Amino acid sequence: MGRRDGGSSRGDAKGRKPFKRKFLFRKKKFCKFCEEKLHFIDYKDVRLLQGFVPERSKIFPRRISGTCSKHQRKVMRAIKRARSLALIPFTSD
Amino acid sequence: MLQYETIFMTDPNLTDEEIDAIAAIVESITTTAGGKVLKTEKWGKRRLAYPVEHREEGIYTLMLLECPPAQVKEIDRRYRMNDRILRHLTVRMEDESQLGPSPMMRPRPAERDEIPPDAGIAP
Repeated sequence: MGRRDGGSSRGDAKGRKPFKRKFLFRKKKFCKFCEEKLHFIDYKDVRLLQGFVPERSKIFPRRISGTCSKHQRKVMRAIKRARSLALIPFTSD
Repeated sequence: MLQYETIFMTDPNLTDEEIDAIAAIVESITTTAGGKVLKTEKWGKRRLAYPVEHREEGIYTLMLLECPPAQVKEIDRRYRMNDRILRHLTVRMEDESQLGPSPMMRPRPAERDEIPPDAGIAP
């Protein structure tokens, strides 16, 4: 059979920027809800939730918003409840 | 006895009396089992985020109940039987703050999702 080792070393062949430089000016992220000591996220609070579903109505990912996993789960559940009640859209085009 | 929050969204063409009738059914289901209604909140007509059964608006009613778990099943069954109810949700109460007015009742001047009460009657 033919050789099947293509791709394994391809990534290293390209010139990469030094790893450190990328993270020099990164802002420290913090969880908005931990900061405010908000333990309950209401699905009825449309205004709050809309901040987590920008433009395409996709749920704002944790890696960008900086929300901690505990609160991200709560936000996710609230958004899904609000969507099922037609309070916020599933999609927007 | 557990505390629940139940919400239903109905056809925008229903009258106030018809909405009250649905709320009364929910109330009677809870009270016959020894429960009680802690709060009833009418949001009125709201524009929907997406059309539901070709309707662009819906009337929302929120109720907070204290009742045995079995009653929730019955309430849910009644919701499903009523075809004027377009959407409904019953969940456990999570926070004491839910007993007070919900975020929907917060006064906010320029909300684009809300239809002003006197729309179209401008002088």
